[in-house]
Amino acid sequence: MVFQENATLREKLAILSDAAKYDVACTSSGVERKGKKGQVGNASASGICHSFSADGRCISLLKILFTNECIYHCKYCINRCTNDIPRATFTPEEVCTLTMEFYRRNYIEGLFLSSGVIVSPDYTMEQICKTIRDLRRTYRFNGYIHCKAIPGASPELIEEAGWYADRMSVNLELPTMRGLQELAPNKNRKAILTPMRQIQNGMAESRELLGMKGGNRSAYWYTQKRNGRELPGSQADSSKDRMLSGGGPKAVRDKKSDFPQQPLSDKPASGIALPSSSKNPGLFLWKHCDISRGFVPAGQSTQMIVGAAGESDYEIMAVTEALYQRFDLKRVFYSAFINVNQDATLPALNGQPPLRREHRLYQADFLLRYYGFRADELLTEKRPFFNTYLDPKCDWALGHLEQFPVEINTADYNTLLRVPGIGTKSAKRIVAARRTGSLDFQTLKAIGVVMKRAIYFITCNGRMMYQFLKIDEDYITRNLLENDVEVMKGFGEKVTYRQLTLFDDLSLRLEGKE
Amino acid sequence: MTPVDKPVRIYQCEDTVNGILSAVYDAGLSGYGHQYIKIQPLTKGQAENLELFSEYIFVKTDTQKAEKVISAVRHKISEQAYIDMMYAIASCQEDRATAVYQFITYGFSIGAKICGALQLPCVERVFEIKRSVQNEEHFFIEFLRFQEVQKNPPLLAAVIEPKHRIIPMVTEHFADRFMEEWFIIYDKTHREASFHYADGGWDMHILNEEEAVKLEELTEQQEEYQDLWKFFFNNIAIAERTNKTLQRNLMPLRLRKHVTEFR
Repeated sequence: MVFQENATLREKLAILSDAAKYDVACTSSGVERKGKKGQVGNASASGICHSFSADGRCISLLKILFTNECIYHCKYCINRCTNDIPRATFTPEEVCTLTMEFYRRNYIEGLFLSSGVIVSPDYTMEQICKTIRDLRRTYRFNGYIHCKAIPGASPELIEEAGWYADRMSVNLELPTMRGLQELAPNKNRKAILTPMRQIQNGMAESRELLGMKGGNRSAYWYTQKRNGRELPGSQADSSKDRMLSGGGPKAVRDKKSDFPQQPLSDKPASGIALPSSSKNPGLFLWKHCDISRGFVPAGQSTQMIVGAAGESDYEIMAVTEALYQRFDLKRVFYSAFINVNQDATLPALNGQPPLRREHRLYQADFLLRYYGFRADELLTEKRPFFNTYLDPKCDWALGHLEQFPVEINTADYNTLLRVPGIGTKSAKRIVAARRTGSLDFQTLKAIGVVMKRAIYFITCNGRMMYQFLKIDEDYITRNLLENDVEVMKGFGEKVTYRQLTLFDDLSLRLEGKE
Repeated sequence: MTPVDKPVRIYQCEDTVNGILSAVYDAGLSGYGHQYIKIQPLTKGQAENLELFSEYIFVKTDTQKAEKVISAVRHKISEQAYIDMMYAIASCQEDRATAVYQFITYGFSIGAKICGALQLPCVERVFEIKRSVQNEEHFFIEFLRFQEVQKNPPLLAAVIEPKHRIIPMVTEHFADRFMEEWFIIYDKTHREASFHYADGGWDMHILNEEEAVKLEELTEQQEEYQDLWKFFFNNIAIAERTNKTLQRNLMPLRLRKHVTEFR
């Protein structure tokens, strides 16, 4: 290994930003905070992007690792201990100065601090904690901080970080337990879910005692509420949780295997549960920390790698839904697998990472969080992959043509949301505009409805936009696909959709399974 | 609607918020018939383009009239209508004053639901104008770049070239964020600048030629953190995922002119 003992700040930044770039989330959303006298910064609820890198991803936070040294050996990770790469470690002071100086020039919204595991999970978490404590206390930073909770670190350290950070995240790494065992031998699901549950419980307690300042609700929570469904987290510690973990209470206590192993196709979300006995203690450090921002007020997120362990979209969506429902997460992020280590046991990717698959997953994720779809409406065990050519909502609508056309002037908000081409903004505008009078197709265009998709599914005052439109699966599919060639271009591919079948990620996935 | 029976009456006014609202006030009280009224803000140095068969009336700017309009909109229509109106006036669109005038008069008759009534042409237009101003405001909140042009006391400066007059909104954002910093935001298009002081207050200035040149020179110097930032920016991209089209869609080329990492 190459250790850079006396590296300059520039060299460290090179090594530690390079090492952090595979982390997905760079969002600065979830908390609205005004500026304060004597402090620097504020936070905006919807988040602010400050730049877009050459891969088209948003840069919102200074995304760096504290260190890229690591004692673990995760096969997919560039920083695994066996890789011969330059290593470097920041000092807390360096991280703070960089954050402050970048922030005042409006380069960033704040800091996203992650780290390789150095010495031990506790030692690593301590370094993260010290850095963000200094940033808040010494440098009086009032902007956005996202930090990782290191699985296996002690609850006290995780709690302290939670009082300084706005958002915390624990990486799920891989969607299935089997994948995790194979590819990240030093990690296990229980160690990952434990801090997640602690943060969830802490947030609930903080909200209860501090009100909205203690942290706001997720989009998923509001969507569930609007649909009259069970609210996220309400079953967090119930016996149901135990049942969902795949076996009886006995199996759960079986320490050797952490969790009962089940054929994964049976219950994909079976690994996303913690037995009720593991209810974490609440918050203890009220008196020792500055509680004015609340505990993890922007909520927690997680990320998983897609396309490394042969899992299906159905498994991924089931896991995602379980995370939103049982762990009250704000966001789940997906990252298309890139074989950075050229590891022979991992799928070889000829050409691009499975970017379109990742895109479909994000679309489906939005359908869960904002549109009130359930995972089992979008995919089933028998049809476990998303259609590559059609977005998940169009795909769903084509399978449910009996529910269409929808009358724009009378349909309720939830029904409008299910129409392809109508998003949350346009649905709200439709509902507002109807209060003044009836709407026609011309107005829908002004409202922002994507007409090339919507026209097959809607009527205005009982009439479709053109008389020749047919509500017929083949007819609509053909038309949607012809229009969507343009959409495909956005993903860096310059091939037509007929050629795409050759490079379709399905073929990649099959290779990965062999 | 092209009226045949009556000449269109065009109220001309100063191209400022108060100027436009003064014209709105006079036009509204004239009782001439809303569909026959247009409001035309006059830009300095712009050649007058007179329409045949139209009456022209010049309205003198009157702060009291403007305040009356604002208070009526806030109380008789809604706070949202006031926000929409102010954003629309900040735009550079020539028809904005007429659209705002129709929007307000309609609003007095149907109340708060005016803001969502997109089936009305004037509301659709105000909505469209407002959206483009808000988009631009957001772009500059994202992509404006400060530079430390003086070390002691520290002074930050930024240059932007917006189409619309978004500088007050943008300054408001940074005033909350950097309460105790001295900073200047210079709008090169309209040659206006906002000055923010370390005590938290800020005001607007019209720069003369000399000041404008000086400020631009200052922001062309190099500093260490710019270098580090460019370095970070290039490093954070994943080569395997390169997608310049997506990058261009999200960060249009015209907005990159004064952005550190693209200079």
